[in-house]
Formats: sequence, structure tokens, C-alpha cells
Amino acid sequence: MAASSRRWSPGRRKRQAWLTAGLFLFPAIALYLVFAFIPTLEVFEYSLNRWDGISPDREWVGLGNYDRLFGDRIFWEAFFNTVEWTAIIVVINVGLGVVLAAILARKIKGRIFFQTCMFIPVIQAPITTAIIWRWMYQPNGAINEGLNAIGLGFLATPWLGDLTTALPALAIAHSWSTLGLSIVIFLAGLQAVDDELYDAAKIDGATPVQAFWYITLPALRPVTAVVFVLTATAAFKAFDLIWGTTQGGPIRATEILATYMYKRGVLENNYGYGSAVAVALLVIVTLAMAVYLYMQARRDD
Amino acid sequence: MSRKPLVYGLLTLVSLLMLAPLLMTAFTSLKPAEELVSPPWVPPLAPTFEHFVTTWIDANFNTYFLNSVIISTVDALVMIVIASAAAYALTFLKFPGKPLIYALLLAGLMIPPTAIILPLYVTEQRLGLLNTHLGVILADLALAVPIFIFLMSAYFRRIPKELRDAARVDGASEIQVYWRVILPISTPAIITTGLLEFLWSWNDLLLRLLFLTQDNLRTLTVGMLFFQGTQTRDISGLTSAAMIMAIPIIIIFIIFQRHFVQGMTQGAVK
Repeated sequence: MAASSRRWSPGRRKRQAWLTAGLFLFPAIALYLVFAFIPTLEVFEYSLNRWDGISPDREWVGLGNYDRLFGDRIFWEAFFNTVEWTAIIVVINVGLGVVLAAILARKIKGRIFFQTCMFIPVIQAPITTAIIWRWMYQPNGAINEGLNAIGLGFLATPWLGDLTTALPALAIAHSWSTLGLSIVIFLAGLQAVDDELYDAAKIDGATPVQAFWYITLPALRPVTAVVFVLTATAAFKAFDLIWGTTQGGPIRATEILATYMYKRGVLENNYGYGSAVAVALLVIVTLAMAVYLYMQARRDD
Repeated sequence: MSRKPLVYGLLTLVSLLMLAPLLMTAFTSLKPAEELVSPPWVPPLAPTFEHFVTTWIDANFNTYFLNSVIISTVDALVMIVIASAAAYALTFLKFPGKPLIYALLLAGLMIPPTAIILPLYVTEQRLGLLNTHLGVILADLALAVPIFIFLMSAYFRRIPKELRDAARVDGASEIQVYWRVILPISTPAIITTGLLEFLWSWNDLLLRLLFLTQDNLRTLTVGMLFFQGTQTRDISGLTSAAMIMAIPIIIIFIIFQRHFVQGMTQGAVK
């Protein structure tokens, strides 16, 4: 490169560098700007207007939508439902994920097979998960029939029709379809742990549970943060699973931010107010992701 | 050791529980009507594909399937080209404003698509892209391209700089180096990108639900949503629809298992 470019003037060289790079970058960057970055800025703009999404006249209402939002009982219900839903999913994925990964990390035969079994739900579409679990949760569905079969029939209940069980039941379905990914991320983290530590602990007479507690868990702390943030953000922005099952019901037991935004924004053509809900979602997820990426960058350095 | 049976027992139980929902769905989709009274975990005694035929033809799933295949395939192929091209510029070329491009793309990693559907819908409408597959494809690409650019860049950074420099000294243009030198040795990153984008595209509901309102344009995800909305009691139909959706992905997964697991671990930020 140096040989041929020495003849060029600095200005021309700079322009040439720009042209070449631009050629490579243009398709990706142009698409990203038009269909991702600018819409993200526009959500904020929309949220300051009253608009039906179609008519040419938008009414500027300033922070009016946010004023309404903070006083909107259903928004807060959806917000706390989202927090509860996210918390259940994070507890399951981190708790079970760490234990199953610790077991799978041992040198056991058929490890890949077990890992595959646990990963297959991860590649399913959320709408497939919705259809399957809605069917299993029906009053005469697989869950209740199974409970009956093992003598726990008294626990049977219309899972998705009950105000108290609907949200946790769907959170379990979501965890089913994401747990495999948590396990794999934990496994990647465990590869960094020195096997000799376990051998040494064994010689010192440590039980497997002690080894897990004093070696595995401390070693997994950074990865746990990764799984925590990824699981939480994925849960926070989830839409398909709930839309494919309860659509927020019964009453508002499974209303989360994404479904509430969809109802107000898309179904009621209330673009301003829907966008205010979207901004709440966007800010929370973006902040969590920013913290995560910052942590990752610091670890890579 | 003595604890081995316990470990295997536990792993087998968990694996069975994880597979049970899909197995029961498969069983039920194959059961003739008179066997539907048996519990879902009982395999079909006289398996039949009649429900698949009904769902495939009468419920229009052949059209949905084709639409899904078209969108996901184009998504995957175009993503490979645009993400690798951008990653090439960011990794190998010197140009002013690079940090700005990086910052812009980094922001893209954090944007949850769910939160920007309202302006995205208006954008598609203004460009006349509603009810076109192109509109879905462009939005898919835009929303996922940052993650794949970073994935490709991470791979490119491990390629020795001398390889590119040598080709440049031999008189190859940047495009030639990119296409003839760098891409051919980047197969793992290309496969990962293609697979993940195909999977995400295949599984997405929200954008397709918004942008595709004509039935003959719909994908499997949207088709399933409406099918279950109208045919709530048709268990055979629902389970066979779920299987039509799941089987291609499971087959691809089993073939490319290693790439999937690695790729999803890397791309988990989406």
C-alpha cells in the first residue's frame, strides 16, 4: 500500500481511503441508520406528541405523555409484572444454569448428548414455545394430567386462567426456552477453571458440594454477571411468548411492558403514548446492556 | 465412583423434562383422532401424517413455510456479505471517523427491537415497504447487523495482517483481497453468521406481525399465531403446526450443532 500511495497528495489519499472504506461500510451502515438508529431516536420524538401514526397533524404535548404514564395504574401494573417475570426467569436460569453447568463440566460420558437435549428448546421460536406450553397448561393438559398421574392431582389448576399462577407459569415456559443458553455460557466460563484445583480439593477430602461452593461458584462470578444481564434483558423485552398465550390476561395478570406498548401503540393507534411506554422499556434495557458491555470491555482489556 | 449413578440419573431426568414438551407435541401431532384421549406422553399406536397434510394444505402452511424460507435465506445470505464487508473495513482499512462508526454500531447492540416498532412501522409505510418481504428483510438486517459486524471483526482480527498486506503488494484491490483472500479463510465466522441470522429470522414474530397483513405473504410465525387464535381446540392442527415450524430448525441444528452453540454464546447479546 505504502509504495503506491506515496505518489498521492495527502488530500487525495484521504479521500481515497474514505471512498474505499465507504464502499465496504455503506450497505450495513445505511440500513442500520434507516431501520434501526433513526427509529430509535424517533421513539423519543414520538413520545412527546399526540399522534395516531397516520394523519399529517401531530400535536406537541411535551412531557404530557410521561405525566400521564407516571399516573397510569395499568402502566405500573405492567411494570411490576415485568419485574416479577424477569426476576423469576433470572432466578431459574442462574440457579439451575450454574448447577447443571457444574455437573456437565465434569468428565462424564455422553456430556454432548445431555447438553444437546438441554439446548434444543433454545432454538425454538417463542411462538412455538407459546403454542406448546399453552396446550400443556390447559385445564386438561399435560401438566395437570401429569400431576394426576403421580398422585399430586390436588395441585392441578387452570394455570394460565388463574390470576396468581399465570405469570409464573409463563415465566417457567420462557425459562424452558432459554435455560440451555445459560448453561452453555456457564460452561464456557467453567473451562477457565483449573482441573487441578478440583484434584487438590479431593485430596484434601473436600466433598463435591464443598468443591462446588468454594471453587466453582467463586470462579463463575464474572460469568454469572453475564448470564444475569443477558437473561434479564431478554426477559424484559420479551413479547412473542405472552402475545401467543394470554395476551396480557387474565385481566392484567400477565400484562408486561411490551404487550402494554403494543396494545396502546399498535392496536389503539396511540403512537405518542405507546412510544412513552417504549421509551421506558428502551431506557431500562439499554442501561443494562451498557453496563454489561462496559464490564465485558473491561474484562477484555 | 459411587456418585456416578446419581449424576447420570439427574442428567437423564433433566434432559427428559427439557425434551418432554417437544416429544409430547410430536406424539400428539401423529395421533389419529381416536387416540387423542390417551395422555400426551403416550406415543401414538397407529401414527398418521393426516394432520400434517391438513395443516400444510388446508391451513395454508405451505405458503407460510415458503415465505419463511425465502425471508430467512435472503436474510442469512445478505447478512454474510454486508456484515463481513463492514467488518473488513473496520478491521483492515484506515480511514477517518472510524471511532464514530464503532460508537454508532455499539449503540446498535443495545437497541431492543421491541421498543422501536412504532417508528419502524412508520418508516416502512413511508417507503412503501409494508406488505412486502423486502420490508421485513431490510429491518431484520438493520437490527442485527451490528452484532454480526462485531462477530466478524473479532474473527478477522485473528487473521495475520501480513496475509492482506502481501496480497495488496501483489497488486490486488481491496475488494479482491476481501473476496478472494479474507472471505475464503473465514468459513467458521460465515457459517455462524448465516446460521444465527437464519434462526433469528425464522423465529421472529413481531416485525412480521406488524409488516405483513396479507395472508399470502405471512411467515410461519404469524401463521401460527392466527391459526391458534382461531383453532383453539384443534389440538392436532396446533401440534402439527408447531412441528412444521420446529423440524427444519432442529435438523439444521443437529448438522451444525457446534457452530450454533458457539455462535449463540457469542451472539447472546441480541
